[in-house]
Amino acid sequence: MTMRLVDAELLESREILPGQFLQHYHAPALATAARAGQFVHVRTGDWSGLVLRRPFTINTVDRATGVLSIHFREVGRGTAWMSRLRAGEQLSMLGPLGQGFQLDPRSRHVLLVAGGLGVADVRMLADEALADGRQVVLLYGCRAASEVYPSSLLPDEVEYLVATEDGSVGHHGLVTDLVTDYEAWADQAFACGPLPMLAALARLAAGRKARLGVATLGRKRGGGRPAVIGSPAARRKAFLQVALEQHMGCAVGACLGCAVWGVAGPQRVCREGPVFAADEIDWEATVGGATGKR
Amino acid sequence: MKAKKRVVTSGKERPVEKPKRRPTTRTIRSALVGPKPAKGSRPGPPQVAAPAVVPPVAALGGPALVPPPAGPRARRPGELDPAAVDLRADLGRGLVLANPVLVASGTFGYGVEYADVVDIGRLGAICCKGTTLNPRLGNPPPRVTETPAGMLNSIGLQNPGVDAVLERYAPLWAGWSTPVLVNVAGESIEEYVGVVRRLEGVPGVAGIELNISCPNVGKGGLQFAIDAEAAAAVTRAVRRVTELPLIVKLSPNVADVRPIATAIAAAGADALSAINTLSGMALRPDRTGPFLGNTYGGLSGPAIKPVALRIVYEVTQVVDIPVIAIGGITGLDDVLDFLAVGAVAVQVGTAIFADPGLPVRLVDELRRQCAVDGHGSYRPLIGTALPRRPGAPSARGAEYRP
Repeated sequence: MTMRLVDAELLESREILPGQFLQHYHAPALATAARAGQFVHVRTGDWSGLVLRRPFTINTVDRATGVLSIHFREVGRGTAWMSRLRAGEQLSMLGPLGQGFQLDPRSRHVLLVAGGLGVADVRMLADEALADGRQVVLLYGCRAASEVYPSSLLPDEVEYLVATEDGSVGHHGLVTDLVTDYEAWADQAFACGPLPMLAALARLAAGRKARLGVATLGRKRGGGRPAVIGSPAARRKAFLQVALEQHMGCAVGACLGCAVWGVAGPQRVCREGPVFAADEIDWEATVGGATGKR
Repeated sequence: MKAKKRVVTSGKERPVEKPKRRPTTRTIRSALVGPKPAKGSRPGPPQVAAPAVVPPVAALGGPALVPPPAGPRARRPGELDPAAVDLRADLGRGLVLANPVLVASGTFGYGVEYADVVDIGRLGAICCKGTTLNPRLGNPPPRVTETPAGMLNSIGLQNPGVDAVLERYAPLWAGWSTPVLVNVAGESIEEYVGVVRRLEGVPGVAGIELNISCPNVGKGGLQFAIDAEAAAAVTRAVRRVTELPLIVKLSPNVADVRPIATAIAAAGADALSAINTLSGMALRPDRTGPFLGNTYGGLSGPAIKPVALRIVYEVTQVVDIPVIAIGGITGLDDVLDFLAVGAVAVQVGTAIFADPGLPVRLVDELRRQCAVDGHGSYRPLIGTALPRRPGAPSARGAEYRP
């Protein structure tokens, strides 16, 4: 994987939900190379005050036209500046960065779980999974009906279920409540969202085998050697993969600023991640030290 | 059509008669590289060679005037060829950098991380991530956050330990033309000495930058850098065990940096670098506590440039060894500022995160600036803003110190 530093031209910017924007950029070099779960590091224009780039997961790519989209919420000066960009203006992007999701070639049923803006991280995975003829279910949780991700932005083939905390639409409660209905059906699960949600899913995933007696994919005679923790093979075998978010400095693994606690020591979200197998993360330490987002 | 042709061949030195038609590429190439071959000569490759070899600059003082042509635009009188500008920076003990733009420790990893997008070979030198005797896990996350015109970090010296660093990266470094300075940190003098002993004589290690802004466990956690005696002691101890060029990095978190700088210089450092980050903190958005997992972090970025400028200004007036300036460099103007207050070289740090190509671009810009000003070397730019007589002490009350 080679990262590139390119100037991407904004083609279209839409406010798809209050304060949330979907922007399409022309960046062929990135769009062709990107895999689901990877991200781009974006430089905002106001360099004097904002000294860091902003990481955004690649939301979708269209390899034929070289278009890449990102989905973000306006939370600070950087994203505010980006939301005001006009079509035709350019943005410096470094990418594609990080390790993407690992789809097992043998998995047929793919469960996506997203909390709020976390849908931006798993959105492209839906495309990749469908392209290989898999069945995809997306469970989406948010606070209220006004924040529900529009189904028009999803491929038709995706089965889409919504949970809202105030019960204004869909299931009344947390998105994690819905998972139990699908954990037996799914071969692999992929999640992104607030850390407490991911920690809850990790707990569910850890107890899944014992609860359901589900056979793991690809277990042959004798089982073979366990894959090295953190390797693509180990991540493919894990039932649950999560995409984590963290404040970043360089995003290429140089500054060690974006570390999270893993069971095997600090892990760089930009390099070892942003996608991890759920059992690689020390959830207690990670959730305990977590704070608000940028 | 005829008129057009006449315009093209109007130059006096050009042959009046247009040579026979040739492949387009060759025509263009010969036009770019030099004069057209003499009439009658074979249109073969030989003449092409001469790629405007520039005579080397004669010593230091004499700005060798290079004949103007061959550049994309005509130079004004007195202007030099940028390629002829001597940017070599001498940091002492035989460490001579190809140019005075380095990348600061902690912002460039071990040099390999940015290799896809940065031409490593064009950097003056690379200061690698802080290295300790034993592996360190670092501070709890979150470890970085943006602040007005700057960023806070509290990585906590996460690194795999000196042995792992040398095993993984030194063979790579040995193959690079760019020198790599290993940034050394420790919590006791013995630890510093232990790391430096292992670096001694390893191919690929060009020098040492000593990070003395670490708590001295033996002295109740007091930083080496804030005490002239402790700073000199660690410098002296390291000096005794190594022949490598030794640079000591100063902390800005002190009342007066000058006695510390002079003590370090007297203890045998070959050069100083200034400054490390300023101590600071940030709160969580909901103000329920400190944002960083470690509570305190080091402030870097454009926000600290004035502080860095002040400290470099003070230090260069009291020491004779070269000073490398660090702190908020985002453009050529910052580089020129630091040179003007006496720095011999600069390190670019935080700005790399937003603009990885900046250090290499600064080299080009500095070269061009020197050429435009008619300097055959960047050395005339050093120290222009320093007072005539060295070292006006603070006792005169001429300065404001909050």
